[in-house]
Amino acid sequence: MPDDRDPQAVVRLLQLTSPALPVGAYAYSGGLEHAVAAGWVQNQAQAREWITGVAGHSLCALDLPVLCRMYRAWRRGRVSQVQWWNHFLAASRESAELLAEDRQLGGAMARLLADLGIAEARGDGALEAPCWAAMFSLAAWRWGIGETDMLRGYLWSWCENQVAAAIKLVPLGQTDGQRILSGCAGRIPAWVDHSLLLDDDAIGQAAPALAMGSACHEQQYSRLFRS
Amino acid sequence: MNVATQATVRKTGWPARLALRFVRRGGRTVLADRRHYGPLRVQRPFYPESPAICHVYVLHPPAGMVSGDDLEMDVRVGGEAWGLITTPGAGKFYRHGGGPPASQDQRLSIAAGGTLEWLPQENILYDGAHACMATRVEVEEGARFMGWDITCLGRPACDEALRRCRVRQRFELWRDGVPLWVERSRYDDHCPVLDARWGLRGQGVAGTLVCTNHRPEVVDEIRRRVEVAAPALFSATQMDEVLVCRYLGGQAQEARACLGGAWRLLRRLVFGREAVPPRIWLT
Repeated sequence: MPDDRDPQAVVRLLQLTSPALPVGAYAYSGGLEHAVAAGWVQNQAQAREWITGVAGHSLCALDLPVLCRMYRAWRRGRVSQVQWWNHFLAASRESAELLAEDRQLGGAMARLLADLGIAEARGDGALEAPCWAAMFSLAAWRWGIGETDMLRGYLWSWCENQVAAAIKLVPLGQTDGQRILSGCAGRIPAWVDHSLLLDDDAIGQAAPALAMGSACHEQQYSRLFRS
Repeated sequence: MNVATQATVRKTGWPARLALRFVRRGGRTVLADRRHYGPLRVQRPFYPESPAICHVYVLHPPAGMVSGDDLEMDVRVGGEAWGLITTPGAGKFYRHGGGPPASQDQRLSIAAGGTLEWLPQENILYDGAHACMATRVEVEEGARFMGWDITCLGRPACDEALRRCRVRQRFELWRDGVPLWVERSRYDDHCPVLDARWGLRGQGVAGTLVCTNHRPEVVDEIRRRVEVAAPALFSATQMDEVLVCRYLGGQAQEARACLGGAWRLLRRLVFGREAVPPRIWLT
């Protein structure tokens, strides 16, 4: 297979999706901690079903198509469009906890990108309360990462973070975690292709038990992960 | 006439429109304008608690929707007016008989200082239903809204689950072209969300109550006071200026009781008035 990618872009994608990126994503379980506490997720098969189900159903119908539109808006210099999609994403978050997670990651990334010299991330005319996807797409655009690679990278980071949470919570062995991630890896290209087909009007999703579980996690007595 | 016959007779669908406008006149909220076309109408308004609060029952005498039926509602609430809308019975979306889906499009606009309570009884999706259901609420700054959307996926009482369907359901709050809260459900033939642990968990009834609220501490009171028995679930959360309660379980009656309990508390804590349940709920 010819390798015609910009080598810088590949390396930058690794930087953007690395768990070492200092935004604190590891502190959140995205509703998984309550799912384990409630007995909804008790073993590897159920963890796999949860993670691949939420990725394929929720992220593909909401985060990915919005991320893609934000990326195109950054590229065209239309910050007001990025802001509109940022409102849409915030309005679509299912609970206070998921919204806070999204904004805390977005805020941390905005500070980091500004420190790395990306002017759009902060200051005059910057986004108000940026979500994670808004800053992820800004970094991808400024670092020369292509649209499809960006979408794959976003989904991969999310899956990897969920698997890390499942390893601690369920708990699972490291090899079990890698089995789940291998399953995700096999499906990520098709999920991304599907998300690219959605019209603006078809964007959005509902995952009721995930929404309710994350709302219940806000008041869970003992927690490993942040709310 | 049975359902199958209705479907064949009404090949092109049955359109119905209803436009309502609540305005404040002196100490009274009046229904200043009610226009209807087709089988969708309102009874004379009731004032069971105060002349300031106008209760209205919306009737759809066919009571069920088949392919191509098209219901449109446009409700406007003026400044300082307070309207409460409910329905006397469940809405039904029957098995698809070919052609376009049954469509229910509800637009609710509330001016600054106005209040709308939107408390329709549940919608029942029969197995095989094709439906587009949208409730879009436009709130000006300083407008108050509390409303719910309760959906039965199949007919749990008849042991009929929803397995084949094509349903698009939206419940959204907007201000000046910006979304404040968006929930968009999609159900297709045998789709994973119906049974998944993160989805509907095989439960037959899902309900969402949304309330504009600027006092985040209210959510703790709701969590303390509203309960359901397992396996049903209840949750409450507050995002920016919107408080959202959810029910997931097996019975429409339980959903109404549970979200109705949240409504009673929110009415006192957020809207500053004791709840007076519409009389028709008791019949």
